[in-house]
Amino acid sequence: MAILKIERDGRQFTVYVAGSADDTWAFFDGQVYRQRAPDEAPTHRRSKGGRHVLTSPMPATVVKIAVAPGQAVRRGDTLVVVEAMKMELPIRAPADATVKAINCREGELVQPDRELVELE
Amino acid sequence: MIRRLLIANRGEIALRVIRACREMGIESVAIYSDADRRSPHVGAADRSVHIGPAPATDSYLSISRIVDAAAASGADAIHPGYGFLSENAAFAAACERAGIVFVGPPSAVIAQMGSKVAARKLMQNAGVPVVPGDTPYDQTDESIAAVVARVGFPALVKASAGGGGKGMKRIEDPSQSLEAIQSARREAQAAFGDGTLYVECAIDKPRHVEVQVFADNHDHVVHLFERECSVQRRHQKVIEESPSCVVTPRLRSRMTDAAVQAARACGYRNAGTVEFLVDVSGGRGTERFYFLEMNTRLQVEHPVTEQVTGLDMVRAQLLVASGEPLPWLSPSITQRGHAIEARIYAEDPSHGFLPQAGRLLLYRGPRMPGVRIDAGVEEGGEVSVHYDPLLAKVIATATTRDEAIARLSCALREFPILGVRTNIPFVLRILDHPKFRAGDVDTRFLDTEGASLAQDPDGEIPDVVREAIAVHRDSLESPSGSLNGEPQTANREFRDPWDHLRSWRS
Repeated sequence: MAILKIERDGRQFTVYVAGSADDTWAFFDGQVYRQRAPDEAPTHRRSKGGRHVLTSPMPATVVKIAVAPGQAVRRGDTLVVVEAMKMELPIRAPADATVKAINCREGELVQPDRELVELE
Repeated sequence: MIRRLLIANRGEIALRVIRACREMGIESVAIYSDADRRSPHVGAADRSVHIGPAPATDSYLSISRIVDAAAASGADAIHPGYGFLSENAAFAAACERAGIVFVGPPSAVIAQMGSKVAARKLMQNAGVPVVPGDTPYDQTDESIAAVVARVGFPALVKASAGGGGKGMKRIEDPSQSLEAIQSARREAQAAFGDGTLYVECAIDKPRHVEVQVFADNHDHVVHLFERECSVQRRHQKVIEESPSCVVTPRLRSRMTDAAVQAARACGYRNAGTVEFLVDVSGGRGTERFYFLEMNTRLQVEHPVTEQVTGLDMVRAQLLVASGEPLPWLSPSITQRGHAIEARIYAEDPSHGFLPQAGRLLLYRGPRMPGVRIDAGVEEGGEVSVHYDPLLAKVIATATTRDEAIARLSCALREFPILGVRTNIPFVLRILDHPKFRAGDVDTRFLDTEGASLAQDPDGEIPDVVREAIAVHRDSLESPSGSLNGEPQTANREFRDPWDHLRSWRS
């Protein structure tokens, strides 16, 4: 990490930086900037040949599965509710679709990249 | 007098209590889970006891483990902090049975106030106004939905055992009733182990104003004025201040009288907070206020009150728990200047406020006059997903509200936290909002304005930031740089000349 004094037109600015070359963080005047190599960006929702796979955004516990395989869902419908840090976070359908598979159980602790629901 | 105090908590509040112990010559005992072995509160205490694995249910929420830890470490008292077991009557009762002083009210008072339904009844009988509503005897979804329909929309379903907005849902129209009731019950069951719900009518544009009370065993009950906490996101407070800009001297005297009356009615002891909703829609002079709930513990936002009264509330808690009279009584307690607190959370406002986890690559609290930081983390530390994402509280104190806001804003602009996203940019945008500046904010402010305030403005990365990132990346790649790979700990490389001097000497 570093605390850098950058000069512009004779005026001094303080920028705080930290992290690696692939994932660099900076703080300046109350704002945070993060620059990452493209493949490090998180994808909470990925497309696999026309199918949508939804993952948990963070380590969490599945508290409710609101849909079943084969069910038609509309954009914005709650599919799964996960709980982290005592707050419930609904995972909603990104588009009108059909539920292809449910890959988690209620009560299960899931990691961020774990596929929870598959839509098509 | 208490000789050795176990703090049944973690993070900033554990540190706050440990410091009060040190000033008073009381030995402090920290407890920690597997996730907190290296946390600051463990390092700060005189002794520490490991109490279990990371999940709170097996550690900070385990009554038996904590009472055993107190006995094993020879502690004669337990301070519960806030959250976790602080408002758990069974925990207070377990302490009482074990002959350990519980720093808080008697377990019976916690139980009574912990049942929001029982608290409403008690306050009604004591002549304190309550929000119109009803408690369904039949707790089935259908029966609660029927009560919601009778109370009218918008309505709130709330957990009888609740607090902090957990197990509480707002219902705008009948189509939302069932999902809201089920979700509220699940949250209530998970957070409090009790899914009982009640229904209140939602007051239009209410302001959240609470009164700090304090009672001892010598028949003294005092108030320490009000705090306003209307800036809330999903019922979690974000900004708190004292005094409230809508509370006139006349309203203040009515509200503080009601709060003292409420504390007397329930036989209260130690520090507590009486929360009210204030309806100012009728204009000055016609304000109405309603009892919301009583919090039977020290509040997260207690520093705001400490700043405007100049009193040490944790010290008073420990004195009162030891059986001493309150160290200060009414005429001498005054409210001076203005204090405002922002809660800094590890969360990403621009992505739905998702709680963040990770290592604090860089963390430097601002040091400036009139700014107090109560923090529970330090640089190099790990923020885990297991607990509340509160990192620090920043409290600015000044002569007027405007000056206090300017001071807080200045402090947050000089509070670099890197490695996890925080809500600092979001809080800065709230502080700049014309409605907030004008004091024209009710508890729904963030429901309506929050979404736009949460988004980082699209725009170019400032020039100076680009340059700084480039310089940093160069230093990572250059063989002379001390950082080849991931920076793991603090104090590796600084560009500041003074820091270079330090590293030459070491």
